[in-house]
Order: sequence, then C-alpha cells, then structure tokens
Amino acid sequence: MDELDETQLKNHVDSLKQQLQFNREKTSVSIPELIKWIEEKMNEDPFLNPDVLKENPWVESSKCVII
Amino acid sequence: MGEMEQMKKEAETLKTQIEAARKAANDTDMASAASGVAPAPRVQLKTRKTLKGHLAKIYAMHWSTDNRLMVSASQDGKLLIWDSHSGNKVNAVPLKSSWVMTCAYAPSGNLVASGGLDNMCTVYNLKTPVIKTVKELDAHTGYLSCTRFLSDTEILTASGDTTCALWDLETGKQKTVFLNHVGDCMCLSLSPDMNSFVSGACDSLAKLWDIRDGQCKQTFQGHTSDINAISFFPSGNAIITGSDDCACKMYDLRADQEVICYQDAALNSGVTSLALSLSGRLIFAGYDDFNCNIWDSLKGEKVGVLSGHDNRVSCTGVPPDGMCVCTGSWDSFLKIWN
Repeated sequence: MDELDETQLKNHVDSLKQQLQFNREKTSVSIPELIKWIEEKMNEDPFLNPDVLKENPWVESSKCVII
Repeated sequence: MGEMEQMKKEAETLKTQIEAARKAANDTDMASAASGVAPAPRVQLKTRKTLKGHLAKIYAMHWSTDNRLMVSASQDGKLLIWDSHSGNKVNAVPLKSSWVMTCAYAPSGNLVASGGLDNMCTVYNLKTPVIKTVKELDAHTGYLSCTRFLSDTEILTASGDTTCALWDLETGKQKTVFLNHVGDCMCLSLSPDMNSFVSGACDSLAKLWDIRDGQCKQTFQGHTSDINAISFFPSGNAIITGSDDCACKMYDLRADQEVICYQDAALNSGVTSLALSLSGRLIFAGYDDFNCNIWDSLKGEKVGVLSGHDNRVSCTGVPPDGMCVCTGSWDSFLKIWN
C-alpha cells in the first residue's frame, strides 16, 4: 500500500468498503451445494467415468488391418 | 494524522472487518462437509501424443472450443496451431516479438491472440487465405501475462503493469481498465456465464471483477507468494489458484473465503499452471519440478502424477469436453494425456 498515491489510496479504501458489503453465504450452505454439483457432474467426467472415455479420439478403437 | 495515514488506517480496519465477516460465515469446512464423499480413485494416465515442433521453451497453450485444435506459444517466436488428434501442425504464426508469455483461441475458432514482453496483445485472423494481424492492442505499460477472448469483438488482458483490461477489437481501444492489484497481474480466468473474471497477481491476491462495471467485487488472500495460475470452477461458484508458495487453494465465491488448500510437505516447487477436469473433481497442476500433480479437489489428496517432461511444466489445459489434459513444457514439447 506504500506505493499508492492519494487518489489510488482513496479508491482502494472505497473498494474495501464495497467489498465489506458483500452478502456472504454460510459455508454450511455453499460447500455442500458445491459438493453436490461436483458429484452430479462426475458421471459425465471422462477422467472419472471410464464409459465416457470408450470413444477415445487418441486410441485406435479397431484393430489394425494389414492390406 | 496526515490524510494518507488516516486512509491507511481505515484500510486496515476495513480488512479486519472483512476477515471477521468471513469468520462469521465459516460454520463448516471442506474436510467436514466432504467427509462422507468417497475419495477419487488413483488416476494413471498415458501419454497419447507428444507434439514436437517448437524449438524453444513453451510458455502457454489454449484449447479451441472444438475440442480438437489448440494453440501453443514458444519463445522460438512462433504460435503453432495443432490438430491434437493427428498431432499435425495446422498453422504457424511468426511473431514480431519472440518474448511471448501467453496465447488464446477465440471461442469462434476464427482468431488467436498472443503477447508478452512487448507489452502488447496481438490478434491474428486464422481464416484469411494468409494469416493476418488484425489488431495490435497497445496501451499496457508492462508485460502481457495472460489474455482471453470473450468473443470476436472483445478480449481481456492481464499485465505486469498491475492492471487488467477489456478491449474492443473493432476500435483496438481499452473499454474498461480494472485497477486494484498492487503487484504484477499474472493470470486470469473468465466465469462460465462471462459476466465476471478472476485475476491472480504477484501481490499474492486473487480478485473477482464485474466485467461490465469494472469494479473489484471480492478479494481472496491466503497465498504467501505470486499467484501464477487461476481457474474458475465449472459451476461458477468457486475458483482454484496456484502459487509460487507451492500450494493450490480453492476459494468459495459465495462464502467469500478459502475452503481448502492443496499442498504436500514433500512439494517445494512453485505451481506454474492449472486446469480442471469437467466436473471439477480433479485439478491438474503443473509445477517447476517438471511434474504435473493431480489433486482430488474435495479431499485435498494427490491422486496421480504426470511425469514425462524434461523441464518445467509451464502450461496445462483441458478441452471443454474434458476428454484429455494437455501439458506444455520448457522442454519444447506438448503432451496429450488421458
């Protein structure tokens, strides 16, 4: 903060006043909802559901044929 | 007391009040809330492709929204556009300045951007018969550390001059300048709904900004050194940061605070980059020690390692469909893993 001039410092203080007003949710509400969101999405996550990765663009899905 | 001294005191008081408000909202932690969640399985990935073509350190990479093409930037003075499925180079863009630090692919696939120690963000059109420079965005007074397109007409930049900016690509001018960091801005990440973005800086803080009104809405502290990497959680309600202090952290945006830290006593290398799997359950974090560690975002445990690079992992990226992870390194190679 020592590098700020008077105008910058004033803006900084005003910003902090605004940030203080933020309506904080309790973690007992926000964290379980976050966990729920992740758990629901894990089914679609190719790294966690091997079925999704069955069609892997980087792996040959059929055997090589000698022609 | 001088005016400056008074304002400094006021700032300190406000910071203390913010911490108290956070504490009041902290009635459970991630460890307790996730205690019933099964740990993520050990993740063992194979290198599916090694992309060879750059002649010097790779500093950045970014996936196209088509899940197939990607752009990489190297201090050999080139941007390379790769077809990740075949491993072929689709395009090469020679850069005016080889000191590149960032690159980005526009969601449309029409444009790419790059920038670095030239303090500029240069935008290229890939769809013209010969690749053309469409704009040179010149207003930052420090290096360009990160850039991301909102669309073909708007782009965000983060700079070593401590500011971030939103630019109009038709006029080439800054529409909004985001002022609040007191250290070099090192990284940025756009929210899924594109109404806000987060930035990480050398002042060890991460900040959430409203793109339209230009205001810093929230500030996240806890790291003890430069934040080099940042990403929005796919749900839009959390962010992950990676720092030179060797740790990654998750900050809950609604509760306005840190909820879990990803670190290991054995790890004493800085985090250079990070990317999340589709669900957000896995964090792929690149480190100075040449590895990319995979973390279980809910349990805080390491569940895998990607070893194979012969130098620092400087960038990581997961495509929108989540089908793989790409790592880029100072060893000049990119690797695709799944």
